[in-house]
Amino acid sequence: MNRLIKFAFFFSAVLIFSSCTDLEDTLEDALVDQFSNDGVDTGGGGGAAGATLASYNKLRDGSAGHGSYFSTQFVSSDEGAITQKGGDWFDGGIWLRMQRHTYLSASGPLNDTWNNAYNGIGECNTALGGSLSASEAAEVRVIRAFHYMRLLDLFGRVKIVTEAATDPPQSSRLEVYNFVESELLDVLGLGSVTAAIDLSGSPLGTDANAYQVNQFSALGLLAKLYLNAEVYSGTAMWQEAEWASQYVLDNGPYQLCGVGCSVPNLAKRPAVASDPDELEGYRAIFAPNNEGNPEMIWAILYDESGAGGMNFAQMTGHYGSQLTWALQDQPWNGYVALEEFYNMYDNNDIRKEHNFLAGPQLDYDGAPVIDYASDDDDLALSFNPSINELEPNAQREGGVRLGKFSFKIFQRPDMDNDYPILRLGQMHLIHAEAAARNAGDWSLALPEVNVLRDRAGLGPLMNMTADIFHDERGKEMFMESTRRTDQIRFGKWGDAWWEKAADSDPNLELMPIPQPQIDASEGSLTQNPGY
Amino acid sequence: MKFKLLKSLILPFALLFGSFIYAQTVTGTVSDNSGPVPGVNIIVQGTTTGTQTDFDGNYSLDVDSDDAVLVFSFIGYATQTIPVAGQSVINVTLAEDAAQLDEVVVVGYGSTTRKEVTTAVTSVSTEEFNQGQINEPTQLLQGKVAGLTAYNKGGDPNSNATIRLRGISTIGGSAEPLIIIDGNPGGALNAVDPNDIENITVLKDGSAAAIYGTRGSSGVILITTKSGKTGQDAKISYNGQFASSMIANQVEIMDAGQFIAAGGNDLGSDTDWIDEVTRSSFSQIHNISAVGGTEKSTYRVSANFRDTEGILNNTGFEQFNFRTKLSTRLLDDKLKITFNAGLTQRDSEFGFNEALRYAVTYNPSAPVFGDDAIFPFNSEQYGGYFETLGLFDSFNPVSIIEQNKNYGTRSILQYSMDFRYSFTDDLVANLNMSKQNIQNQNRTYYPTTSYFRGNAVSPVRRGRADFNTDASNVQTLELFGTYSKQVSDKLDLKVTAGYSYQENDFNNYSLVLADFPPGVDFDFQDQIEASQDLLEAGRVEANSSRRDDDRIIAFFGRVNATFDNAIYFNASLRREGSSRFGEENQWGTFPAVAVGADLNNYLNLENVNLLKARIGYGVTGSIPPEVGLFARTYDVTNGADGNSSSATSDPLRAENPDLKWEEKKELNFGIEFANDRFSATMDIYTRTIDDFISLINVEASEFGGASTQYQNGGELKTNGFELTANYDAVKTDKLTWNTGIVFSTYKTTLEKSTAGDQVIANLGSPGQNSTNMILVREGEEVGQIWGPVWTGEVDGNGTPILADVNGDGNLVTDQGSALNDDADFEVLGKGLPDFEIGWTNQLTFGNWDVNAFFRGAFGHSLVNTFRAFYEPRIGSQASYNFVNTELASADIKTAQFSSHYVEKADFFKLDNLSVGYNFDIDNSYIKNIRLSLSGQNLFTITNYTGTDPEPALQDFGAASNGDFVSATPNVLAPGIDRRNSYFSSTTITLGLNVNF
Repeated sequence: MNRLIKFAFFFSAVLIFSSCTDLEDTLEDALVDQFSNDGVDTGGGGGAAGATLASYNKLRDGSAGHGSYFSTQFVSSDEGAITQKGGDWFDGGIWLRMQRHTYLSASGPLNDTWNNAYNGIGECNTALGGSLSASEAAEVRVIRAFHYMRLLDLFGRVKIVTEAATDPPQSSRLEVYNFVESELLDVLGLGSVTAAIDLSGSPLGTDANAYQVNQFSALGLLAKLYLNAEVYSGTAMWQEAEWASQYVLDNGPYQLCGVGCSVPNLAKRPAVASDPDELEGYRAIFAPNNEGNPEMIWAILYDESGAGGMNFAQMTGHYGSQLTWALQDQPWNGYVALEEFYNMYDNNDIRKEHNFLAGPQLDYDGAPVIDYASDDDDLALSFNPSINELEPNAQREGGVRLGKFSFKIFQRPDMDNDYPILRLGQMHLIHAEAAARNAGDWSLALPEVNVLRDRAGLGPLMNMTADIFHDERGKEMFMESTRRTDQIRFGKWGDAWWEKAADSDPNLELMPIPQPQIDASEGSLTQNPGY
Repeated sequence: MKFKLLKSLILPFALLFGSFIYAQTVTGTVSDNSGPVPGVNIIVQGTTTGTQTDFDGNYSLDVDSDDAVLVFSFIGYATQTIPVAGQSVINVTLAEDAAQLDEVVVVGYGSTTRKEVTTAVTSVSTEEFNQGQINEPTQLLQGKVAGLTAYNKGGDPNSNATIRLRGISTIGGSAEPLIIIDGNPGGALNAVDPNDIENITVLKDGSAAAIYGTRGSSGVILITTKSGKTGQDAKISYNGQFASSMIANQVEIMDAGQFIAAGGNDLGSDTDWIDEVTRSSFSQIHNISAVGGTEKSTYRVSANFRDTEGILNNTGFEQFNFRTKLSTRLLDDKLKITFNAGLTQRDSEFGFNEALRYAVTYNPSAPVFGDDAIFPFNSEQYGGYFETLGLFDSFNPVSIIEQNKNYGTRSILQYSMDFRYSFTDDLVANLNMSKQNIQNQNRTYYPTTSYFRGNAVSPVRRGRADFNTDASNVQTLELFGTYSKQVSDKLDLKVTAGYSYQENDFNNYSLVLADFPPGVDFDFQDQIEASQDLLEAGRVEANSSRRDDDRIIAFFGRVNATFDNAIYFNASLRREGSSRFGEENQWGTFPAVAVGADLNNYLNLENVNLLKARIGYGVTGSIPPEVGLFARTYDVTNGADGNSSSATSDPLRAENPDLKWEEKKELNFGIEFANDRFSATMDIYTRTIDDFISLINVEASEFGGASTQYQNGGELKTNGFELTANYDAVKTDKLTWNTGIVFSTYKTTLEKSTAGDQVIANLGSPGQNSTNMILVREGEEVGQIWGPVWTGEVDGNGTPILADVNGDGNLVTDQGSALNDDADFEVLGKGLPDFEIGWTNQLTFGNWDVNAFFRGAFGHSLVNTFRAFYEPRIGSQASYNFVNTELASADIKTAQFSSHYVEKADFFKLDNLSVGYNFDIDNSYIKNIRLSLSGQNLFTITNYTGTDPEPALQDFGAASNGDFVSATPNVLAPGIDRRNSYFSSTTITLGLNVNF
């Protein structure tokens, strides 16, 4: 009896505890479902809301920071470089190779560019898989087409993924080009671009809001695609590029930011009298407070809190530049502009003074910034246009710095400036070039180039050639991620500049497909020719 | 003759008769050659009837058969079996047993004897432990267990050793062994004070650990705390240690004069920065314990206090620890209840290891204080200290360590109740319940005047306070029964079966606030409402997470069979599930089987006590380090100005519902030999780890932009050999000398890799990002240091000329080409040692005892990152001090990773030397006093030029310019001596032990 009780005790204990075979667990510290909130628009930034928000947000990744799309475009062009300063910035030689066009498929920045693009595309596909209004769906398709345009431009042969969780085969560059063209035409309600464009069939809006895709951004993007059509598809589309850009110029609610178009200068140091109070014209387009600039057709919203990703001050500032604007973090002393590119500007070009940080640097109180490891005996920091060498012992203060997207005092590592995808000035350049090339007469580009020169405080040009146009375009579009594409279109990609040797390998016009992607693709991605 | 005949006639008769009505009490005294022995177990063979001797060594036991055989056993003595044969008084003298064949060895869910062990198990007891200043339990074991490595590189008193059993056991799981404290799994090693430990047993191979299933892959360490014995007189002991440490070795750098001569920027002073931030430290440890027992109950209570200082200024900890262990028998001794509780309270000053790093790299001609600068310097803004403003990765080390605070408290409460009930002589049930509660509260504070992370350089947003709090709660319930049966004369059977439940709840939150009012000498971490961050959007950093209901549930069983008292068989099976996996693959099955044979039972070799061969095979698993790795997770991104709207966006990780257990299969063959003076154990093993859980790159286009996913895959293979030998070289009444050697070697090969061939472990900033130093390649050994080879020549720029390794006339040394067929890269060294040796010597001479322990590791290399960054005489970097080892070449002016910075780090060191003296005191209060003097890390023979040649088993990555070091190490990247290491120290300890 006693024994029975003991056994009963034992087995009931077993039963009580062994019923605990429950392994249900929910992940509590990460979101496992997607959601999208329509919030209250508090003004200020404005911008997209609701289901399209995430798609817009992804545009920020890599577009104005270090190590991805921007870096790939900038460092491979003749705009600038990241010099190796002794032990500093060698980084396994990736930036030296980028500058010298000896890039490898193992390059981390190329892989990050690829990932950022497909990350954005994935976000768009997810949004398109949900319930969107016709106009929202059209906006998201334009964003997706924009990502594919970057991939088309950089890598050429990529996979066109239009639905989540699918793995289509790798497309040819022509197929990617055709896809981007057809997507843009489709959302514009067009069969093709003609002289008389009728956008009444497009679900896209026409309001001037640079944070939201409208008919003008879609058509402007199409104009940019056509401008490069010969490179992408082998067939020039100058006429279509001209028509499309003409429509934007004629019908868009945009104005060039010139005299009277100004914003307060947020970089004004109280103790430095030479700092202007206002930034006007060209300067205002790229200022930290450039939201609502009348020239902006489509821009990526950046903000120091909540919309980070623009880090130009960190990327280009000297270690001591922290003291100049009392920046929150110490900059990295990396990106510099090339001397030849800087010297291309006339001395009285407003854009020369604005686009670069050159000469002696003052601190927040107006005293010289001291570099305790200065290259020369003069400890005062001064940015010299000349750089002794790309590697291995480039001067710490060599090279003027990238100042176009201007800083503000007390700035955080993430900047506030919005970054243009399309702006009216660029639209003029697209139109001028397309018209000139279409007619085979570069002088047709003069009026619009001279408008931009006038804003920069320069007299008009009387003579125009492809080379002059290429220079003028470069001066206006510095840091706007178009130079590499322009150099290829103008046949200058193989030229020699500074420490980059001349080459005649057309394969270099496309970047290698990142090795990690090829490795992970199990054979479904193949490398571009020549790599 | 007559009598004899009579006897032989009567005896069988008496026995026959006795078997029906026999009942007799046997009494006696058990002693050894120095007197009575209390606590000796006496069991009637083949039954569970038994007793223990009291404190005078006396016992009394009822036997119901005249042919009963009494078994006398006690740890450290040879077991004796004596037939009762009608005797009513049996006095026994126990003989010490050198081989300790009958020593009880705890294994999972039960115990066995040394002789019966069929798996690779090593047991280390108090007298074999390392001596000197011991901060944590693993230090007791270092070098004592073949195959176990425990390295605390540098010896930061606040960091635990990295423990590895037989090398890398897992890629994606926890590489640290499972800790079992007095039978309760999942305990924290820090919860037990080393002074309270009686024995540590290490289950090394798969067949031993498989009973612990998914947490057994990295080995199992069973800790038995000290306890009282029944009938033991109350005894109070005091143990005190007083230790002083000093820097053993430091990075060779230039002084101000050399630095300026080498082209460094002269800032006008002469400062020995390492001297400024380090000290000779003083530590003390006190332990008081009381132990005793009555007939039914035993007790032990103990209190420990530690005050430990590190050699870096403002580092160290204070710790209180209390432990109670009570045990009593109820219900006719059938129920035994044991209560065990430990409370640990530790206040740590972590300090900043960065101070050591910057002490190495800081300009030696810079002054400590700004007022001593040769040019005007606004000292006030930096708390009086000088700072080299405008330089990357350069901070005044004295300011770092003196102005800032980094401290925390940890409390661990651990308690368990164990019920053991004997239903019958054969059937015993155990119910163990335990709980462990760990709370950590850490704070860091950088005042507005600190340049390092305090942003003193800026006119805005100065000062910073970090708060980090986490709590984890582990509860365990285990129920298991054991049924023992002597099936026949030749066969003993023992069956164990049970159920195990463990739940882990974890939560944490952290907060970073900055921007405190400058110019006020006030510690704003206690008044964070003054932070201006609260007024501006996006400034405050806050983070929280919770992982509750994280469960492991298991059913397990084991059969032990002993044939002929010489062949031992052991098989176990564990079915285990974890909530860390998705629905599809939550459960895994982990079997093991082992067999051992005491060959000498059949060979009967002379002078051989044991000759055993054993072989075991077992499967264990590894649990992933986090919950929810199978799930796709989403980020929240904010709208235009942070508050207008929010949405999710895809993160970098794709889902994998099929994620499953990582498995380790291990085959172990061992031979054990013992005679009176010599014993040896040899193990050969091969283990295969497959399906490891790792984050794999996936094609971004396929997974909606997610570029990584946790996947199972790959295969790792380790073959190893271990030898332990002990010899009583001298054994006389006056002098004894025992010497022992522990040798282990293994080789781990990556048979298959899901991530493909790759190079990992980035050297880092300044300027050496995208410079990966470790090769991960299919079919090759793990931990190969990979890079270009320096020819010894430099070009006109001072750039090292690298070698055309493959001789194809084409020099390919870019990091991006590291894996190309034509790359001029080669294996520059191995991160893991070829073999490791521990050599113990114990001498006793009268009242004196001497313990000398040597340890060495051979065949491994280290990347000396201090040299790789700071040894080249880079002109544009002339404000960092130059590392100036004997390998320095003044011609090299460019920093580029090559063979030049990879050094062989073989070493052999006198790890521990202690001398003790026991005073015989015949006093009614004090029983004896022992004084000892120990030295740790006394000398090291090595060619390595860094501070510490110990292998770096894993890599925490690079950090620079005030960034924080990664918290998750990479086990595939051994061999990198990073700049964050603490400097190693030499410690001299005076120990005092008094027994009352």
